[in-house]
Amino acid sequence: MIGAGIKRGTAELAILSVLEEGPLHGYEMARRIEQQTKGALRFTLAALYPMLYRMEQRGWIRGAWETSPSGRRKRCYRLTPAGKKKLSPLRKEWAELFGALKRLTKVAHA
Amino acid sequence: MRDWAELVRQRLSGLALDAQEKDEVHAELAAHLEESYQTLLNQGLPEQAAFHRVLFQVANWRDLRRKIFIAKRSGHPMQKRLHQLWIPGFLTLVLSVVFLATLQGLGFQARVVSWSGPRTTLLYLPWLLSLPFFGALGAYLSSRACGSRRTVLLASTFPALALTGAFLSMFPIGFVLGRIIGRQVGFGIVATTLLRDGIGWLLVPGAALLAGGVLVNLLFSGRTSSQDAAVG
Repeated sequence: MIGAGIKRGTAELAILSVLEEGPLHGYEMARRIEQQTKGALRFTLAALYPMLYRMEQRGWIRGAWETSPSGRRKRCYRLTPAGKKKLSPLRKEWAELFGALKRLTKVAHA
Repeated sequence: MRDWAELVRQRLSGLALDAQEKDEVHAELAAHLEESYQTLLNQGLPEQAAFHRVLFQVANWRDLRRKIFIAKRSGHPMQKRLHQLWIPGFLTLVLSVVFLATLQGLGFQARVVSWSGPRTTLLYLPWLLSLPFFGALGAYLSSRACGSRRTVLLASTFPALALTGAFLSMFPIGFVLGRIIGRQVGFGIVATTLLRDGIGWLLVPGAALLAGGVLVNLLFSGRTSSQDAAVG
């Protein structure tokens, strides 16, 4: 079973990574993550919004209401300079972790 | 046409945020549900099936409400603790003490209850009967601030816990005083007094406060579950 800390870490990395491409609202963000990970990562509403609000409180992302061409109001999130700064060490940490796990599993199967 | 905003408002009722902040959360979540629903309809799902699929995204609205509150207040852990425990707890303590003083002022006498021969304990029955209400108030306030079950019960029993702390501090204070005045303090006497008065002032009041707290806790869980079933 994957621990809560690892789950949160991957979720934060996923959100910061898709927001690096440009501002998105919650639903679009969840859809984009699901598409880009080919369904490996899925965000339900219950998982996504507490995470977004927490990241907003930490100053990594900023939400603002915008009106879409169809006239609907949506809260769009964009990466802040603090979020951009957070992204590169986070990527490095996860790359190291996956690298280590890959090496470990190769050794175990050898 | 589904009213997603009303659905979210009902299911997240009791979310202890500022009015504007709360409206924004409701609007944002409603927009997400609406968009999920429209996508499923466009994929050819019947309305009812799409509706249930959308609601499936939130298994427990009470838990979501708590998580949103914690996330929104995550920058202020002290403030969260203040609203969930300290304010409800101290209010329960102050109100119960003021009520006891009022009863004493009005001339209500404590009932002396004898147990195990000459041992007696004092019980203020009207005060004890009021305690479940004070416990319920503390639990309600803590629950409104999205306190966890443990925090809600701690807030409801706060007066008994504070008094227990005060009673237990008699031991170190007595020890220090004994050292200062150079006289031995009979800890046996202190312990006997603590045991005797502990029943009337700590155990029974604590149980009465807890009864109110547990009741509110059950009512709140029940209310959220019934709302989950009713809306739609």
